[in-house]
This record gives sequence, C-alpha cells and structure tokens, in this order.
Amino acid sequence: MSRSTRVNVTGLGVGAAFGFLIQAAGFGDADFIHRMLLLQSWYPWEVFAAAIAVGGAAFWLLERRRWVTPLGGQLKLNRTSIKPRHFYGGMLFGSGWAFSTTCPVPAIAMVASGGVLGLVVKSGLFTGIMFGDRVAGGHHHARLLPPAA
Amino acid sequence: MPHHLPWYIVGPLLGLCPVVLYAVANKHLGASAAYSQAARVLVRRVSEPWRVYFFVGLVIGAVAAAVLKGGPQFHLGYEFIYGWMPLWGAVGVLFASGLAMGYGARWAGGCTSGHGLCGMSIRSAGSFAAALTFFATAVAISLALNWATGNRT
Repeated sequence: MSRSTRVNVTGLGVGAAFGFLIQAAGFGDADFIHRMLLLQSWYPWEVFAAAIAVGGAAFWLLERRRWVTPLGGQLKLNRTSIKPRHFYGGMLFGSGWAFSTTCPVPAIAMVASGGVLGLVVKSGLFTGIMFGDRVAGGHHHARLLPPAA
Repeated sequence: MPHHLPWYIVGPLLGLCPVVLYAVANKHLGASAAYSQAARVLVRRVSEPWRVYFFVGLVIGAVAAAVLKGGPQFHLGYEFIYGWMPLWGAVGVLFASGLAMGYGARWAGGCTSGHGLCGMSIRSAGSFAAALTFFATAVAISLALNWATGNRT
C-alpha cells in the first residue's frame, strides 16, 4: 500500500471516528447546540473542554518526545499567529452559527439522523466555502484567505 | 445507544481524533477544508485527497451512530426555533447562515473543528482568537435573538 493510500485510509478512519462521536454526543440535534449557545445546557461545553484538555495534554507529550510520524516525518504542528482575519472571519462564522445552530460536522450529523433542513445548511456551507475558495484565488484576497485548517 | 454519551467519555475521545491524525500522518484536522476538497471532486481539482476521505468518513461515522440510536428519523429539524416562521423563511435563513459559516470559515482559516478543537489543542494563538470569536459572537447573537423574539428562538 502506497504512502498516500495509507494517509487516505487514516483520514477515512479518523473521519469515521469523529463523525461517530459527534453524533454519539448529540451534536446532530440542532436544539442541542441551540441550548448550548443560550447557555441553558453545559453538556456541550463540558465535552469541548474535556476534548481540548485531553488533546492538549497528548500534543504536549508528542512534542516533548519529538515524535516522528509514520506517514509524515517529524511532527510539525500547524500553529498560526493572531491575524485580523481570525476576528473578521470568526464573527461571520459565529453569526451563521447562531442562526443555524449547527456547524460543519454537526450539520453532517443532523442530516445523517434525518434532519432534512440540515441539507439546506450544508448547501449554504458548500456554497460559502466554494465562494471563499474562489475569492482566495483572487489577487486581492489571497493574503486574507490561506488554506483552511 | 443513549441520546448522548457522558461528556467524560465522548469529550476525551473527540480530543484524541486530531491527535491520532497528527501522530500518524502529520495532518491538521479540519472540517471546512474537508468540505472544500469534497466540493472540488466535482471539478476534479482535489489537491488534498485525504480530506475527501476524511469527509466520507464523517458521513459514514455519523450515519453509523444514527443507526445505533435507532434512526434515522426523518423530520425538518428546526421546529423549536423556526416553527413560527413559514417554511420558505426558515429555508432562507438557514441557507444564508450556512453561506456565512462557509465563507467565514475560509476567511478565518478554519471552523469549530479546525480552530476550536485541533487548533486550541495545539495551543495555536490564531486558533484561540478565531474560536473565542466564534463562541462569543454566536452566544451573544443567540441571547439577543432569544430576547428580541420573546423566547421564541
């Protein structure tokens, strides 16, 4: 199996685990995130905090041990410094999030659990992302829109 | 499977997803880039194929968990928020919201998974700025809408 195939398989496996866990946590229910954003339910915040705490500790350990990845060489974490685009893009994203009460992965989970209007959100997401990619290819905005994480 | 697993089980497992991806393949987990690459399949301009596989994996995993929960159960999905609006109005609002999230994610360089989960876990300053802006904006607008509509949204 070639290296690129193994990277693809890794992507598929991690994606499946991530999608499963997002659905298992209940993020596929729009009301779930709605109550989170209204600060009426703390469960999603607890999930998020636990994820970052565990992930942060694991990354710290990997960096400390100078981890060499089997498929990508020496571990290099993709950190970015603070730029204005983080705030402008963040506010636009947060506005959409407030009205849709879902975000990219939970939108997939919503559709998978039978939420038909999730398809409308996903259509908007695809359109917005493709439009963003088109603008990113332009001369003026190229420096504002780097490849998304 | 219950409606949702305890946070102390599902949270740490979610936190390990970006760790495994970095530890094995040195790749940064992110959903908006996966959407972008998946969309490029149509025009055959995929530059990072593994992200397309990641996107397919998201769908497979979400469907598998939905089936284990006894679903999928087809419904509109927004009755509690937009039940008081005509359907066409809700469709318009939801499409515009998706559009804003999609463009905003590309502008900010990531979304709640790329910045919020993976970026904050690797202690990226830009990700902290973006994710905290996502959260603050979404919470502020949600509370304002709830107040303005008399607890209807």
